[in-house]
Amino acid sequence: MGDEPAAAHPAATGALPTASGPGRVLVAVYGVFALAATARAGVQLATRFHQAPLAYALSAVSGVVYLVATLALAGRGRSARWLAWITVTTELAGVLVVGTFSVLAPQDFPRATVWSAYGIGYGFVPLVLPFIGLWWLRRTGRGRS
Amino acid sequence: MYAVILWTVVGAAGLLALTGLALSLLDRTADRLLLGLAAAAEVVTVVQSVVAGVELAVGHPVRSLGTVVGYLVGIVAVLPIAVAWAWADRTRWSGSVVAVGGLTVAVMTARLVMMWQGSA
Repeated sequence: MGDEPAAAHPAATGALPTASGPGRVLVAVYGVFALAATARAGVQLATRFHQAPLAYALSAVSGVVYLVATLALAGRGRSARWLAWITVTTELAGVLVVGTFSVLAPQDFPRATVWSAYGIGYGFVPLVLPFIGLWWLRRTGRGRS
Repeated sequence: MYAVILWTVVGAAGLLALTGLALSLLDRTADRLLLGLAAAAEVVTVVQSVVAGVELAVGHPVRSLGTVVGYLVGIVAVLPIAVAWAWADRTRWSGSVVAVGGLTVAVMTARLVMMWQGSA
């Protein structure tokens, strides 16, 4: 592989797809969280929004973020990669900010969201996932060099 | 009756997840064995949803009916989607993709147990 002309290298033609190899596992995990967060928010908003508007609104935001991140990571091309960077970064900010506030000011977060206490209700996967996502975007973005 | 099916689903999905992970660790592509295990796990998952649905229809009480029904419907879609996603790009990682599906079914079933008994 190393002796191929430069033009044959993916690094020369662009980034590697994010949804192949181990990236497929990442997309699968994102898909599970997209399903879990969106479904949870849907039930919360439909049945008891008035009990905790802030927590349930954040729940809905997290669902949308996971959903778009899943589609972006599963997609190909420049705009999908760009969208993946934005959503995964938002996800990281979300889990850190919501996690910190839910620990420091639990009275403002009376009801759980996916990101409460850094995702403790989901085995802290929501905390680890964005770091893996950003690492994977960086790694595939460099191409095969 | 329902409890027996619950633990069969957790067992089948757990075995599927372990086998999928083992294939990735051994650097092997997802094979017919994994497909067979996934099919078996899917069958018991469907049986679980049907039996639970019937018990709900005849009046088994749960706190959040919408959530339980959502779980029972959603859970049967997990393994077919995971297998389709894995088989569309068969590498050593395909087993891990199926494992994610197996783990999801096991965790969803554990949550169903809690909701079924009224503790969550």
